[in-house]
Amino acid sequence: MDHESLRELSGAYALGLLTHAERRAFEAHLGTCAECTQELRELTVVTESLGRMVEPRDPPARLREQILRAAGAAPRQRGRGTPFWLLLAASLGLMAVGGYAALLRGRVSETEATVRHTERILAAADVKRVDLAGQEAAPGASGRAFWSRSHGVMFTASGLPALPKGKVYQLWVVTKSVPLSAGLLTPDGSGHVMAVADMPPGVEPVAVAVTIEPEGGVPSPTGAKYLVGLV
Amino acid sequence: MGPLLRQDIAAAGLAAGSSVAERDRDLDTIRRMAGGDSSALGELYDRHGRAMYSLGCRILSDAADAEDVVQEVFSQAWRQASRYDAQRASVGGWLLMMTRTRSIDRLRARQVRPAATGDVEATLQQQRDPSPDPEAEAVTTDAVARMRRAFAELTEGQRLAIELAYFDGLSQADIAEQLREPLGTVKTRIRSGLLKLRAAMVRE
Repeated sequence: MDHESLRELSGAYALGLLTHAERRAFEAHLGTCAECTQELRELTVVTESLGRMVEPRDPPARLREQILRAAGAAPRQRGRGTPFWLLLAASLGLMAVGGYAALLRGRVSETEATVRHTERILAAADVKRVDLAGQEAAPGASGRAFWSRSHGVMFTASGLPALPKGKVYQLWVVTKSVPLSAGLLTPDGSGHVMAVADMPPGVEPVAVAVTIEPEGGVPSPTGAKYLVGLV
Repeated sequence: MGPLLRQDIAAAGLAAGSSVAERDRDLDTIRRMAGGDSSALGELYDRHGRAMYSLGCRILSDAADAEDVVQEVFSQAWRQASRYDAQRASVGGWLLMMTRTRSIDRLRARQVRPAATGDVEATLQQQRDPSPDPEAEAVTTDAVARMRRAFAELTEGQRLAIELAYFDGLSQADIAEQLREPLGTVKTRIRSGLLKLRAAMVRE
């Protein structure tokens, strides 16, 4: 395609409408065409603002409070820095998680929130357990996930190999049609890791898996499978 | 394409809801959120919650669903504040983008499930939020009014194509089918419509 016909794609590109092939062609063209690059920048500013043109509506006053309350109980990062003994305790339900949470309050609020979330998942009426087996890349690894349609997924693993530089493990909740990312995992020095994540409403998992991916994670799995478990 | 630079956004003369000073304030707020300061989350909500809720209502036509979406987006923003990339979008743009994405996801999910229950109760319980910052409101009102006027002046074909894409999340093939027009025409209309909006935004 020439410049004229590629330029016609700029608006559809800015709105995310192009087919894969069109997008590839347009992006390749951008690399060589300052005019189209400039136009796209300008149109992106427009599309970024389209959402502001709607009729203003006032949210209910309770929404602000709900958001702040939810933040108080939600970790900002997952799967990092949580001591495994605590996770084990939580996952096996052997100890009074709330008691530990109270001890930690004010000191390790992230851990506390993780534990609370874990507790909610484990206590959910619809909780299900999935055992994950180490794959060819990590035969010594094993994992376990508890998922609840209403409360999310809680995951622990052990025996994961140390990550090479620039890589991270990524947890996937796999549905019939698509794998959904449930967060990034960085195991501690002994290969243990734990994570909790929300799940979008209506998700019906058929499997849970862990793959190795470039740092920062990816929208769909690309790397080798390390752990897989069928629901 | 290179990353969309903040300077570009500012230079585009776009005052739709965010002056340069507000952007800097948002950036500072995001940094505090990344550090775990939950009062920063409240501030971000006060600045952007209403726009997000309005967008959710427009896409979903359901106040309760819009409320859920806004809550989900702030929850995501809280957890991922450290991953926010100022080179890609303004904070307001980032929040609106997540609001749109989640709203359209819900819209699509709704098509395969029974319709959501009514939002009567939510509507009845609505109360006004505290008034937003007057200075911010002045900038916003002016820019948004200009955009809205320009949008109303688009041809019907341009307006519908942009609406179906942005608010209904339709693919270009679905838009072409709805408008009974060739794909090429749809693309051209979307581009010419967006260029008109752009011209209105930078107009003095």
